Amino acid sequence: VTSRSELFVDISVELTGFSRVQLFGTGMCERYLQELDDVLPPGMVDEFLVAATAPVAGILRDETWGPVARNVMILWYCGRWTTLPDAWRVAHGTRPADTNHVVSAAAYQAGLQWVAAGAHPAGARQQGYGAWATAPEETVL
Amino acid sequence: MTDSEHDYDVVIVGAGVAGSLVAKRLTRAGFSVLVLEAGPATASAFDDYTNHVQTFYEANSKGPESAWPPAAAAPQPDTGDIRSGDGYFVQAGPLPYGSTYTRLQGGSTLHWLGVSLRMLPEDFELRSRYGVGRDWPLDYPDLEPYYREAEYEIGVAADVSDQTHLGLTFAPGYDYPMHRIPPSYSDDLLAAAVDGMTITLGEDRLALKVRNYPAARNSMPRDGYRPVGAVDERPAGQGDGNGLAQDLGQRCAGNTACTPICPIQAKYNAGKTLAQAERSKLRVIAQAVASKICLDPVTGEVQAVEYQRYDNPNSSRHTVHLARGRAYVLAAHAVENAKLMLASGLGAGSGMLGRNLMDHPSIYGWGLASRPVGPYRGPLSTSGIDDLRGGPFRARHAALRVDVGNDGWRAPTGAPDSTVTDAVVTRGLSGADLREHLRSTLSRHVRFSLNVEQLPSPANRVSIDPRYVDALGNPRPVINYDIDEYTLAGMAAAKGVYQQVFRRAGIEDCTDPEQGAWFPSVVYQGDTLHYHGMGHFAGTHVMGDDPALSVVDADQRCWEHRNLFLVGSGSFPTMGTSNPTLTLAALALRTAQHLTTELSK
Repeated sequence: VTSRSELFVDISVELTGFSRVQLFGTGMCERYLQELDDVLPPGMVDEFLVAATAPVAGILRDETWGPVARNVMILWYCGRWTTLPDAWRVAHGTRPADTNHVVSAAAYQAGLQWVAAGAHPAGARQQGYGAWATAPEETVL
Repeated sequence: MTDSEHDYDVVIVGAGVAGSLVAKRLTRAGFSVLVLEAGPATASAFDDYTNHVQTFYEANSKGPESAWPPAAAAPQPDTGDIRSGDGYFVQAGPLPYGSTYTRLQGGSTLHWLGVSLRMLPEDFELRSRYGVGRDWPLDYPDLEPYYREAEYEIGVAADVSDQTHLGLTFAPGYDYPMHRIPPSYSDDLLAAAVDGMTITLGEDRLALKVRNYPAARNSMPRDGYRPVGAVDERPAGQGDGNGLAQDLGQRCAGNTACTPICPIQAKYNAGKTLAQAERSKLRVIAQAVASKICLDPVTGEVQAVEYQRYDNPNSSRHTVHLARGRAYVLAAHAVENAKLMLASGLGAGSGMLGRNLMDHPSIYGWGLASRPVGPYRGPLSTSGIDDLRGGPFRARHAALRVDVGNDGWRAPTGAPDSTVTDAVVTRGLSGADLREHLRSTLSRHVRFSLNVEQLPSPANRVSIDPRYVDALGNPRPVINYDIDEYTLAGMAAAKGVYQQVFRRAGIEDCTDPEQGAWFPSVVYQGDTLHYHGMGHFAGTHVMGDDPALSVVDADQRCWEHRNLFLVGSGSFPTMGTSNPTLTLAALALRTAQHLTTELSK
C-alpha cells in the first residue's frame, strides 16, 4: 500500500519540477499534506491523491482537481495557501481555513521560489557578508 | 491624575533616532533624562526582537509594517490602509499620502532601509539658487561637523572617495567609520553598461554614474571604530548590564530584509543609541503616550507633559500622569510632533504648524535583464545614480535620485510570490517548465525606485479634527496632500530616466502598474503616474530665521515656548533628495549640543 505522503510527494514532484529528495529536504511534506486536510472538505484529499496519479496535463484541466493542483504548486514554491476560486467553493463547499495565508514561518523559509531564483528567503538563510557581490548560482538543496 | 515621582532636567517624547541621540548626549553630559515612548519596547531585548522576525515570516503581506504591529493605544499608519483610506490617517486628499511610520521603541529605524546620504550644499539654498522652495537657516558648512558626528553615532559604512560629487565636501582627512558595503553583482553590471551615458534635463546634460550608497549597516571598521552590535536590554541583574549584545549584529550578512526587519541588527536602529546612554541618568517609560503639553500661563513656558500609561498593548485601559523637566524635546515623528502641538493648542503663531508636509513621491521602474543578475540577495539597495539630484534644471522641475534595488520586483509587484502565481495560474506552467521559467525570470529581475523631490506647500498639512480620535481619545492625523506641477514634472522626467537607462543597459521594460501592487496615481499631461511614498515625512514644524514664517529656529527651539524643542525631519524647510535620517540625526546632535550649553548655565 502506498502511503498518503508517498502519493503526495509523487504528485508534488510532477507539479513542482523538484526531485523527491529535494522536496523531502524541505521538511514540509507532512505539513503541506496536513494543510490540504485542513482546507479541503472532508474526504477530498484522498480523492485528490488518487486522481493525481493520472498525467498532470489532465489534472490541471480538471475543474475539480486543477485548482487544487495549482494551489499545491503555490504551497511548495511560496509556503502559502491561496483561497480556492469562488466557482470551486460553490461546487464543493468551503472550510474556514480556506483563506490566503502563510502556512508557517518554516513554510515561508522553505519556499522553492528562493531556490529557483538562486537566492535565499528574505530575512533568513543569509548568504554571508559580501555574497551579493558575486555572480548568482542556483542553490542545490 | 498623579504626578510622577521625579523631575528631570529634560523630558523627551519619543525613543526613535532623534530622541535617542539627544538622550544619549544629555545623559553623558550629566543631565537626567526621561524618555516617554508611545509604543511597546519589544524591540529592545533580543529574544523579543526575534519574535518580530517570526511575525514577519508569518505575515501575509511583507510590507514595511509587517514585523511591527502597533499597540491599541498607539496606532500607526499602515501601507495596506492607503488604498481604503480608513486607517490611522484620515486621508483628506486630494491625493493619498503614501507613507507610513512605526510607533515602537526604536521608531521607524526598526524598518528603515539604512541609506545615509548627506543633503547637497545646494539643497540648503534652493530659494537663493533656483528661486523655488525655502532656504534653510543653516548651510552645509554649518551642518558638516554634525554630519560627521551622526555618521559615527549611527555607524555609516561608505568611502569618502565615492561621495565627493555635486559639491559635497568632507573635512580634510575624514572618512566614514566603516568601509563601504560591497556593491552588488547587479550594481557592477549596471555600472558597466550605464556609466558615462548622458541624460538631458531641461538644458542640462548630465552624465550618469552608478555610485555606492552610504548605509548605516555594519561592515569592516576603519581605524579602531567599534561597530555596535544588537540591542539586548535585560531586567536588572540579567545580561551584561550595558544593553548591547556585541557578539550579535556585526557585519551585514545579506539578509535582503533591511525593510521590514534586519534579523541580525547589522543595520542601525535607534535602540542601539539608547542603549549607549548613561544608564544612571536615564529613565525610559515605554507604553506612555504623550497626550498634552501643559504651559505655565504666566511665562508661556512648558511646565509638564501629560502622558497616558497603559500596561496591556491590546487594551486602551490607561492611567494619566505628568512628567516635568527643565526643558522638553518632542522627538515623536514629524506627524506626531505636529499632532501633539495642535492637540495642546500650541505653536499656532506663525500658522505654519502642521503645514509644508513633504515626502518623496516615487516612481517604480522594473524590467528583465538580458542575463542573470543575482537579485533577491544582499542589502535591499547598495547603489544608486546621484547625478540628477542637483543642477540648474531645479529651477523648473524637481530633482530626483535613482535607487537601484537588489530585491528584484518585490516592492512593486510582490515578487517572487506574484511571479509564481503568474506562472502557475496565468501561464498554466507546471513541473520542469515551471521551475525553468522561474529560474530564468526571477534571476533577471531589476528594480529602480526614482525618488522625486517635493517642495514645501502650506496646503499639504497635518491637522486634527475632534470627529477623528483613536482608542485613547487622542486625535488621529488628518492629512491634506497634493503633488504640484514642479514635482509632477520631476516624476515624469523620472519615468523617462529609467526608460533610457533600461534601454542603454539592455533591460526589457516590464513596468506595468496595472499588473503590479496597488499604488496611488495622479494624471499629468495625459499620463498616469503611479507613486509610492518613501516614508520620508518632513516639514511639519519648519525651522527658519523669522518667527512669523517658521515654528522653530535653527536650534529646533520653538519660537513661542523657549524651553520646548521640536526635533526631527519636521524641522526641514526642504528635503532635497536624500532620505532624511542622517540629516535629522545631525540636527538632533546639534540641538543636543545647544541644550547641553543652555542647561549648564
